Amino acid sequence: MSRKRQVFVAGALALAFLLQLAVMPQFKLLGVQPDLLLVVAVVVAIQDGPIQGAVAGFCGGMLQDLVSPLVMGMGALTKTVTAYLAGSLKGFFVTYSILLPVILVFLAGVADPVMHQVMLIILGQEKLPPFQVNVILASAIYDVLAVLVVYPLMGRFSFPGQGDSLALLRSGGE
Amino acid sequence: MPSVPRANRSRMVLILIIIVCIVVVTLYVRESDQGPLHKTQDIFLDLVSPISSGFAKILRPIKDGFINLFHLPSLSRENAELRREVADLKRKQIGAKELEAEVADLKELLNWSEKNPEMKNVGADIIGQSPDNWQRLMIVNAGSSSGVKKYMSVVTREGFLVGRIISVGSRSSVVQLITDSRSAVGARDQRSRETGVVEGRNRSTIRFVPMTDEADMKVGDVIETSGLGGTCPPDIPIGTICEIEKREKGLTLLVEVEPFVEFSKLDKVLVIITPEPESVILKEAQ
Repeated sequence: MSRKRQVFVAGALALAFLLQLAVMPQFKLLGVQPDLLLVVAVVVAIQDGPIQGAVAGFCGGMLQDLVSPLVMGMGALTKTVTAYLAGSLKGFFVTYSILLPVILVFLAGVADPVMHQVMLIILGQEKLPPFQVNVILASAIYDVLAVLVVYPLMGRFSFPGQGDSLALLRSGGE
Repeated sequence: MPSVPRANRSRMVLILIIIVCIVVVTLYVRESDQGPLHKTQDIFLDLVSPISSGFAKILRPIKDGFINLFHLPSLSRENAELRREVADLKRKQIGAKELEAEVADLKELLNWSEKNPEMKNVGADIIGQSPDNWQRLMIVNAGSSSGVKKYMSVVTREGFLVGRIISVGSRSSVVQLITDSRSAVGARDQRSRETGVVEGRNRSTIRFVPMTDEADMKVGDVIETSGLGGTCPPDIPIGTICEIEKREKGLTLLVEVEPFVEFSKLDKVLVIITPEPESVILKEAQ
């Protein structure tokens, strides 16, 4: 990942964090909001590789944990693993269709809260947030809507010499 | 072969990140509220709150536009309901005395802070909300520099309970809403004085759990804080009972309460500074 791209991803995470904090709660659909930080991390994992996605997931998750008094480090852990898995899964597919990020973000949107809940149970937290399947699914669908905007935007702001996957992305996979 | 060490390096980075996360989680769970990680959260809250506040102000017109657009069907429905209400009120003009009493009641609710001079409070703007779907939180721009402390109660300008402070920075704080699944507030039925606990469930309604199964409660009863538990002052209205379900085999009565506060439309709140919650006094005494 080039230095410019690193700065760009850091800016994207900061923007996603502020949107998540100040704006997205007002844009709830069916009572849920998308997880923009997870979406950005998964997009980085797809466009730049699983380890870059994991780092983005860690940073995004830690930002979220710093304002969320549940358990610090938990969001960072689940987002790291989720983005890494999404980036690794991407390696099994040779396609540049928008369907791939859509499917991966949906799976990540389901996996992340499930992992979060499991971790809270392992930690023996006394009062767990209710496990609502409808909320998880609705949130994952909302994540998919968000990735339709985020994925092309982040692909457009790729920079020369940052890796073959984005070069292929820009050339339409030819 | 350069690809093998690169793959190993990647794996090392991943393992390192996971170890860092596990260490942070372990330390956070083990440390007290005054520990370094909790303090870091408070400092970060102070750093991010002015940016978040500015961001929210810049985007407010867009947000309001979206909300209006999104709520257009409900607004027209609301409009129709209001028209019907106006017609009803016109008919009721004959019974002007009843209306006067109603106005007096409404006045009672308004200017709550003037009516409760013993309760000192600070006003605060809402500058952020819960960044995930699993908690019901709000970030307000008042912190320890304004006298805000952990566990202090937060109310609307009309005096309805919003929640309580769970994290305090110097210029901002995090409010746990009464709808949050980890929120529990000592409450009572205003009419029958039956006491119990109001619990959040991450939904729009909250649940009142009375102390006894035979509690005397009716739909429409007002639920207010009881003052028991030491965090919330008594007599703060919470909501009205909208549903009562008595489980045949269960031991408890399920009482659904609709909060008075419309959390999605809230933009300003009051933090009750005095009387201080007993838990704060006890902590300071220790």
